[in-house]
Amino acid sequence: MVSRFLSLVTVVFGVLLLTFLLIHLVPGDPVEVMLGESASTADREALRADLGLNQPLISQFGNYLGKLAHGDFGNSIHSKQPIIELIKTRYPATLKLAFLALLIGLSIGIPLGIYAALKANHWQDFVVTIVSVRFSAMPAFWLGPMLMLVFAVWLGWLPVSGMESRTSIILPAIALGFGLSAILTRMTRTSLLEVLNEDFIRTARAKGLSEKTVIIRHALRAALLPIITIVGLQMGSLLAGTVITETIFSWDGIGRLLVESIEKRDYPVTQACVLVVALSYVLVNLFTDVLYKFADPRMRFN
Amino acid sequence: MKWLFLSLCALCLIACKPNAHQDEIRFAIAQAPLNLDPRYATDAASERVNRLIYQPLVDFDSASNPAPILVFWQVVSDTEYRFTLNKNLAPFHNQTPLTAQDVKATYDSLLALKDSPHAAEFANIKAIEVEGKNEIIFSLKQADKHFPAKLIIGILPKDLIQQGHDFSHNPVGNGALKFVSWQNKLTLQRTKDDQIISFQEVKDPTVRVLKLLRGEADLIQGDLPPELVKYLQSKPEINVKTSIGANFSYLGLNMQDPLLNNLKVRQAIAHAIDRQAIIDKVMVKKSRIAGAILPPEHYAGNSNLEPYAYNPVLARALLNEAGIKLPLKLVYKTSTDAQRVRFATILQAQMQPAGIDLEIRSLDWGTFFEDVKQGNFQLFGLTWVGIKTPEIYAKAFGSQSFPPIGFNRGRYADAELDKLLINEEWPAATTRIHQQLPYIPLWYEGQFAAMQKNVSHYSPKPDGNWDDLATITKNINK
Repeated sequence: MVSRFLSLVTVVFGVLLLTFLLIHLVPGDPVEVMLGESASTADREALRADLGLNQPLISQFGNYLGKLAHGDFGNSIHSKQPIIELIKTRYPATLKLAFLALLIGLSIGIPLGIYAALKANHWQDFVVTIVSVRFSAMPAFWLGPMLMLVFAVWLGWLPVSGMESRTSIILPAIALGFGLSAILTRMTRTSLLEVLNEDFIRTARAKGLSEKTVIIRHALRAALLPIITIVGLQMGSLLAGTVITETIFSWDGIGRLLVESIEKRDYPVTQACVLVVALSYVLVNLFTDVLYKFADPRMRFN
Repeated sequence: MKWLFLSLCALCLIACKPNAHQDEIRFAIAQAPLNLDPRYATDAASERVNRLIYQPLVDFDSASNPAPILVFWQVVSDTEYRFTLNKNLAPFHNQTPLTAQDVKATYDSLLALKDSPHAAEFANIKAIEVEGKNEIIFSLKQADKHFPAKLIIGILPKDLIQQGHDFSHNPVGNGALKFVSWQNKLTLQRTKDDQIISFQEVKDPTVRVLKLLRGEADLIQGDLPPELVKYLQSKPEINVKTSIGANFSYLGLNMQDPLLNNLKVRQAIAHAIDRQAIIDKVMVKKSRIAGAILPPEHYAGNSNLEPYAYNPVLARALLNEAGIKLPLKLVYKTSTDAQRVRFATILQAQMQPAGIDLEIRSLDWGTFFEDVKQGNFQLFGLTWVGIKTPEIYAKAFGSQSFPPIGFNRGRYADAELDKLLINEEWPAATTRIHQQLPYIPLWYEGQFAAMQKNVSHYSPKPDGNWDDLATITKNINK
């Protein structure tokens, strides 16, 4: 477990270093972003010195790490807001959306996958397969406006976008969750079909266990590993922010903040967002490993 | 399965009513303001909101001449201006009166800020002195007869400046609207009648339209493709208003490129674009062909500039005269904005009969703008927004204004034009620019606003400002 954590720290440090170097390699100068195109060379140099941007890269990286250690991400170049405040506002919004999308994905995907596996090669299986393939092929920039048109404009049940109402989260969560459920349906079906032909399932049935017990307690548990892998990967992506969905639904999440900061060359915000996203991936991976252990006690962390 | 279906239905059925805040006027905007401190704000949304929260010393009249707002002024000498504050000025939103000390504190603090993008504009100020309660004297290092036109920064209260108040996210001015809150959406309140006005960022144009149709927004303005504007015009429940525009769209050319340095090539490109067809087919009403950066109604505009007619045969002939082997291959850089990319593809198609093979490179805004500033382009498309003073000609075309200390991104150097600009001979200067074509002028895009039928007293303005939010009304009984 200790070595697992050490490797995680190494990954985070690598991400920090890589982001720092990449940001200094891409064209664009934070001083120019701040002062615009009218400032004199002397003013630019004065501000560059003030921000420590005239120091060697290694010193700048050291300063950056030092500030990070004190929880100081710096201020946004454009809004002048402390970045930690931006992250505190944006990340919980992404977390809420990701968890609800995951819940919807799991609630639809796993039962439908089980159903399709039990009805394998029947018409019900074909219907589920066609629907799930359709959903996984629907891009968010299409599905989002369609959901808005039907549920907000035509039926008037839900708000079009924004974060004002408690129900505002439903449409973006469905837009994300449907895609996820389609993938989970396919994965659950495939994984379960493999397990259902195993000897231990035949034994369970021979012992006279009910079909429900056989499926839920024996087959599904054995089929969980690939499902956990997919859920872990998808959750990592969701926590990294789903830029298109967040943009379409005016959902102020971390993904939108990251992309906007890149567009506006707001480098400190970009660095902080990438760090948060990387940490999310790392933690989700760690959690996925823990879940493996629960799903299959034979597995070890190392 | 049943419970799953039912739970999803239940999620949908806990529906909310869209008109939870019936009396609030909700403005769906494409880009939220970034910074409400007028000493830092540069983006269009922040400047438009700041015009409502703060009041500057000076603004502009319909011909873009500087007009007094808080003051009247007197030219003491070439380098000294005396400003006298008007009587009965509205107090700041924190109820302190606006005095000459606040004016001095605002401009002193601006000059002291190392990271303000506006500080350079005021580098010519030598000293600011206050006489009595209402008199401010600006002494300049060098004569500048356009100095009053620069005093458009909103005035801040002195005591809050001294306390290091965060005006960026908690602005205090003395404008028509005062700040209420900024969580997900920006909420302001009109001082005269307490009308609440909120601004919500909705980036996607289709979603803005859906919000208007659903009644979640009362007003939207600009940044819509024309087909959506036409769609809204067909809706009886929506009122669409249009006005002429003053924001200048153009093709920038790299004058250091050996091909584009040739005047005949630039003329050929100008003749290869059918501006009127683009305006008629894919732009909102009241868009018009442009001649110079400043529109004809501006005191430094030029209404005598003859537009370059669409003539691909002439364009081809000009390229042949220039000794160019056809097709002429050029790279056009633009942002990823859908409307910009659409214009690019139209230009590409229009230029083909003229023997110009245009390659489109659509880049994210940061990369695109960086390339433009670095001179890493052959052609690019941009728009000048909210330009009021003729100084723009010198900054955009003067040989001393190459980036990073000016906007002459095409690196155009013309001694004759420099002389005209120094002497402020605007008709001659704009004519020279029109003949030499360091920019290919395109159009001033028309402005429009779409609103619910119960919203009135709001009209779009040529520069796209939101000043009518000071007068807008919403009849909640309709």
